[in-house]
Amino acid sequence: MKSSPPKLAQKLFDWYCGLAKVDDLRGDLDEMFFHHAKTRSITHARYIYWNQVFSLMFSYAIRKRKRNAQPGAYASNNISFSMIKNYLKVALRNLYQYRYFTLLNVFGLAIGMSISLLLISMYGYVSTSDNFHDNGDNIYTIISKRSEGFEERHFASSPIVLANRLSDEFSQAKEVVRINSSFGGEVIRERENIPIHGYFADHNFITVFSFPTLSGNTRIALSKPNSIVLTESTARKLFGSIDVIGKTIELKDQGTYEINAVLKDYPKNTHFRFEALVSYVSLPAIQNPNIEQWTEYRDQYIYVLLNDGEHTNNLETYLRQLEKDVYNNSTVKVNFDLLPLDQIITSDVYNALGPKWETSGFVVFGVIALLILLPACFNYTNISIARALKRSKEIGLRKTMGSGKSQLFLQFITETVVICLISLLGACVLFILIRGEFQSMMVEASVLDLSITLKTAILFIVFALVTGLMAGLFPALYFAGLNPIEALKSKVSYRAFSGMGIRKALTIFQFALSFCFILSLIVFGRQYRTLINFDFGFQKENIVTVDLQEVKPELVKAEFSKLSVVQSISLSSGSPGLSASRAWIHSVEKDSVEVSQLFIDSDFLKNLKLQLIAGKNFPETSSSDERFMIVNEEFLINNKIAPEDALDKVFLVDKQELQIIGVVKNFYYAPPQIPIGNFIFRNNASAFTQANVLVDASDVFGTFTAMENSWQKLSNNAKLEAAFYQDELNESYEVYRLLLKMAGFLGLLAISISILGLLGMVVYTAETRVKEVSIRKVLGASAFGITLLLSKDYLKLLGWSIAIGILLAIAIYETVFTKIPDYHANLTVLDIVVGALVLIALGLTTITSQTYKTALSNPADTLKSE
Amino acid sequence: MKTYLGELEELVLLTVTTLGDNAYGVSIQQELESRCGRNISIGALHSTITRLEEKGLLTSWVGGATAERGGRSKRFYDITQAGKITLTETKQLRDQLWDLSKVKLASR
Repeated sequence: MKSSPPKLAQKLFDWYCGLAKVDDLRGDLDEMFFHHAKTRSITHARYIYWNQVFSLMFSYAIRKRKRNAQPGAYASNNISFSMIKNYLKVALRNLYQYRYFTLLNVFGLAIGMSISLLLISMYGYVSTSDNFHDNGDNIYTIISKRSEGFEERHFASSPIVLANRLSDEFSQAKEVVRINSSFGGEVIRERENIPIHGYFADHNFITVFSFPTLSGNTRIALSKPNSIVLTESTARKLFGSIDVIGKTIELKDQGTYEINAVLKDYPKNTHFRFEALVSYVSLPAIQNPNIEQWTEYRDQYIYVLLNDGEHTNNLETYLRQLEKDVYNNSTVKVNFDLLPLDQIITSDVYNALGPKWETSGFVVFGVIALLILLPACFNYTNISIARALKRSKEIGLRKTMGSGKSQLFLQFITETVVICLISLLGACVLFILIRGEFQSMMVEASVLDLSITLKTAILFIVFALVTGLMAGLFPALYFAGLNPIEALKSKVSYRAFSGMGIRKALTIFQFALSFCFILSLIVFGRQYRTLINFDFGFQKENIVTVDLQEVKPELVKAEFSKLSVVQSISLSSGSPGLSASRAWIHSVEKDSVEVSQLFIDSDFLKNLKLQLIAGKNFPETSSSDERFMIVNEEFLINNKIAPEDALDKVFLVDKQELQIIGVVKNFYYAPPQIPIGNFIFRNNASAFTQANVLVDASDVFGTFTAMENSWQKLSNNAKLEAAFYQDELNESYEVYRLLLKMAGFLGLLAISISILGLLGMVVYTAETRVKEVSIRKVLGASAFGITLLLSKDYLKLLGWSIAIGILLAIAIYETVFTKIPDYHANLTVLDIVVGALVLIALGLTTITSQTYKTALSNPADTLKSE
Repeated sequence: MKTYLGELEELVLLTVTTLGDNAYGVSIQQELESRCGRNISIGALHSTITRLEEKGLLTSWVGGATAERGGRSKRFYDITQAGKITLTETKQLRDQLWDLSKVKLASR
């Protein structure tokens, strides 16, 4: 009798019945099959068998038996509160018993989670953006998608004529608000002027948006010309009180404004950013002659409040029609689009009204956060599984006593979640520590509010739970799936090590990542150092630049020259090395070329130790009509002029004929990443904006006090604005300093996580092999030999990770860094060697600290306990 | 409380009593098929048996294993005292109804 019932049907049946007792039913099925197999064909018998299996599966009999089925004498199928309490208790006991590993895990996860908390709190801030406006759901802003040829740009702003057309023609719009963000200036005060900025806004601004008024009538305030509304804190800043209605403020070069209302300070979570609102009618018409044009976008914003329940479709159709009418005959095509109020802050548009947090930035940040978080989760998984041997007896016993898979799974997940919640506390502490630093790194730092609110707190906890699930899923599944007999016989160790390949690979990946961070730290560091010590070709030490403000240049020069601390002084329109203005230059016979230019007086070259290689300096007495210019070597090369016949050549610059009287040696007039190009010095007293003072640097405080005193004689209401030139230059490398700091910090996190993971693994190995070590010692092995033996595997891992890290670093360097145009520092062999040495030193310390301890243990202590 | 019997339940209960010591899943099904011409699936049969057990009309025990069932044991069924009473009551009810009924069959 070769025929047997269909295996698949049997399997299906067994699986469906699960723990229910169906032995007799299986017997009945088989008996019937063999009976049929004798009387009919095998195929037919099998067909009947399948039929019967299905009839049983859907029958009441099975349902009833399944309901009564119990995995063991003490087991129960429903999860009760007391059960969860028990899981918690067991979890806490376990965590306490293996304190060392718990500590490692908590540290690792806390570090890993801290960056993600930053991301979450940032998201929490951005997601509540502009949610306090009562009409928020019905407010839209109109953005302009401008395309000319292949160039396309999305503007947050739109032509202001559109607003006028809208309020005239489109009746479904309840309100149309015009905002112009160009209001700004200095409020004239007795002692010193205070800068202020804000918007020109229509009178309905206050009714459409919900910015509560403190005092005064905002409606009148924003309808009358030359009338202004201040925020609470601005009023305090200017007057020291909020009782300012009816007072006037005078803005430099702009006239006076009357204060008609004061607004309460508004919350930080909005894309509006203003200190004052000025009525739209006060917008000076001459400020921008073509402000009424359809092609003017800058600084003009339109907000539309639709009627309640009004759909955006109508407005969109209207805008489509309008685009066709307006841009029909122009090469520039513009699409007007609507953006809901709460999405403004995350949209990627040009010329935005306030701060913006583009979604793309969040993605990059998210990837970085994941790169830090995942290794931490992986460490937990790794250590947990490695310790399966220790816990296999417990699992085996639980299973024997009737614990089901799902219950074991729950128990282990509970343990992980508890760990993650403890880690969350640690992560929060870290988060609070790094928050300030992080905020100061962001461009929009002042507006970013990262305080923990109820919403972010809930998000944090949800995040911790998800992290727990992520880290604990694999170990929990693994433990729940253990065979109880193998587990009780301690045979699982072999199975645990079958996953060694993946674990090794992941450890290698972690260290490779850390290696990359170390390398980037080295490269950024060198880049920064190079820039700080960069030789521009002129003297930058001991020079103080003084902003002339409104004071006459000659007066400053005369007054400052009297000071004993001042060695020499010169005037210029800017500082070389920071930026230079550009102009078009025409030779008499040839086409125009673009040059960079700087206006200087005759002392400038000497003052900054710039070298003339031909010709002479500008004449001492500068006249208002320009006649001469000094060019750099590059200018001659590019214009194919031989140095000897360069002098006296005449060029047309800004419609003025200028004659070359000198040639200066090449120097870096722009930041060092920009290559040296055509450059000219011009001599025009009206363009001077700053004085460059060479001072005696031995007494900085005395020097500045002396300069301050002379300044007071020259200007009565402006403050001296002076700074060391070198500091200004260094400040322009701020971005590198930030990168250095960021790479350093992330590197620190990544390395600590890897080290913690490695430590966990090494401790575990040392613990499990302690008997083996003792026997070896008894048989005469040396401490060094044993240390080597225990460390060997991990040293190999380190070697691999450095090898892969080098490849990864080179790949990243080739793809990312070489694409950055101003990149100077190269990845050298020395960097790689140094990085590798650092990593090896760190790894070696970690490994040997544990293995050496084990190697030193007294064999008598460890061997006697069995 | 009076227990009502469905038609199939009554048939199964009666078949169990006719089979005596050999009443288990397959034998009951075959007996139903051969005697009553009812070809019911094993699922339907076991559902009926389960309900009869719930009503307390059937009792069961696990018997020895047999080779032809792949070494699996049989579950034997027997009628309980309550089962016998219910069957008798059902029969009496039918008899009364027959006596009162106007239907006179030709064979009578």
